[in-house]
Amino acid sequence: MFIPFLTALFNSLKTVAQYNKYPPELFPDPIKWSNYPEVWELAHFNTYTLNSLTVSLLSILGAILSSSMVAYAFARLRFPFRDTLFLIVLGTMMIPGVVTIIPQFIIFKNLGMLDTLMPLWVLEWLGQPFGIFLMRQAFLGIPREYEEAAKIDGCNPFQIYWRVALPMCKPSLATLAIFTFMAKWNEILAPVIYITSQEKYTLPVGILSLKGQWTGGNDQYLVAGALISLIPILIVFLIAEKYFVEGARSSGLK
Amino acid sequence: MNQNPEIARELPVDRRPNPTPKKKKWLDGEGRWGILLVSPYLLHFLVFVAFTSLASLYFSFTQYDMLNPPKWTGLSNYQKMLDDPLFWKALRNTIYFTVLLVPIKTALALVLAVALNQKLKGLKLYRIAHFIPVISSWTVIAYVADSIFNPRFGWANGLLMKLGLEPKNWLADEQLVIPVLVAVAVWKGVGYMMVLFLAGLQNVPGDLYEAAEIDGAGPLQKFWRVTVPLISGTTFLVLILSTISSFQNFEQIYVMTGGTVDVSSAGGPNNASLVLMLLLYREGFTFFHMGYASAIAWVLFLILFVFTFIQMRLQKKWVHYD
Repeated sequence: MFIPFLTALFNSLKTVAQYNKYPPELFPDPIKWSNYPEVWELAHFNTYTLNSLTVSLLSILGAILSSSMVAYAFARLRFPFRDTLFLIVLGTMMIPGVVTIIPQFIIFKNLGMLDTLMPLWVLEWLGQPFGIFLMRQAFLGIPREYEEAAKIDGCNPFQIYWRVALPMCKPSLATLAIFTFMAKWNEILAPVIYITSQEKYTLPVGILSLKGQWTGGNDQYLVAGALISLIPILIVFLIAEKYFVEGARSSGLK
Repeated sequence: MNQNPEIARELPVDRRPNPTPKKKKWLDGEGRWGILLVSPYLLHFLVFVAFTSLASLYFSFTQYDMLNPPKWTGLSNYQKMLDDPLFWKALRNTIYFTVLLVPIKTALALVLAVALNQKLKGLKLYRIAHFIPVISSWTVIAYVADSIFNPRFGWANGLLMKLGLEPKNWLADEQLVIPVLVAVAVWKGVGYMMVLFLAGLQNVPGDLYEAAEIDGAGPLQKFWRVTVPLISGTTFLVLILSTISSFQNFEQIYVMTGGTVDVSSAGGPNNASLVLMLLLYREGFTFFHMGYASAIAWVLFLILFVFTFIQMRLQKKWVHYD
């Protein structure tokens, strides 16, 4: 499972000459650590990283705030068509979104958002089915007594959600945040559709675009660049592995 | 259990038609708050799901290049699809990719999950190792795969030559491109699926294994006679989910078959790895045949809907929630 990563790692530390050597050698000799700073300089890595961070962080914030708020209404408040609407949430989670791609592109075009980072994160601010489902489960799992007490103290439903219920669901919020991060940090389809100028590329797309521009002799840089883009998500994963697993589980057993 | 009136209101009994005028009930404080808090998703659904789905259905009956208004042409896009050799090739490739990927990945994930379900030391490391491809972007995976399948310096050819065999062109070979893509997809996705199986295995009662042991069953028999039947629900779910996602594969094939160098080269060589999502992308976002692309989207959607429908019908019977 892990070994292919090691061969890529070794390749990323080779000199041009050794990288192109035939037949290939496994270990880099000499080890050229400077491939990493050099690719950072040669490509617009600062820009790509900043774009990826912007998209990821705004998505996480939007997902946490909007999905949890919508989920709280589904979990605790009675309103017309609640159950129908929740069935729709479940339905859109299961039914693939392939038919919405083209009209969504046209909507974003009409809103003047093409070739901006906006289409990559705005929808997260309008509640995502997976996040709504996950957070609803979390709210249903907390005892009502706390909320009753807040109600008696005169809190309105939003205040109860914000001050009482939300702080009690931190593990699920973490799962949602991490899952959103993973999806957005790695996303390729949406940037490929919406972004045309190089300075707006996110990391995965930016690194790939270099392949077209640098022909020959620079491949070891590309491998190094790709592995750099893995570092942030790898760190988050190693720190919070159980939330990844939890997220994978609830996304499967929806 | 709880006699609290707030909870009693949630019981189905209280959903009977209310003697008070409906409108008054709709506009009570709680209902207003509910609508307010749910309004972001309401907007999301109405504009970005319902409206867009209808728009896409409408576009599929038109010629639309985004510069001029859509022109109604009836079934012409669907007619064109039937006569389009590329559509049939893409459909064949998509099915071939799926039929190869799903059973291999599922079987491997099940075996790994059973192996991982034993309480051994060092398991956490093992689990992490399997999950790293899952958290990697397809860009990372593409470069990692390149270190193996590159015809010039990849390890696959190095191995073949050591064994005295002819080196292969792998992703540039019409016959091999889909099997190679499947091999990489199995490697990337098996850890995710394994997690789903591990969740299913938690629900298998341990005393069944003990009973089987008393009856003299070996490890292999326990696997076939106890594990496999008891997690059939998870297996079924996993099969449907991965079929649905496999039919929508875009990123892997786009990235690994050179889409970023030149969009029209994605799906190569000679369209041997062209799948439906790639054809949709090419028609829509390269040629701006938005009508035709929408028609492809609807056909793909209908195929996927059949799988989703089967899953929804059978899910209640098969899947156990915690």
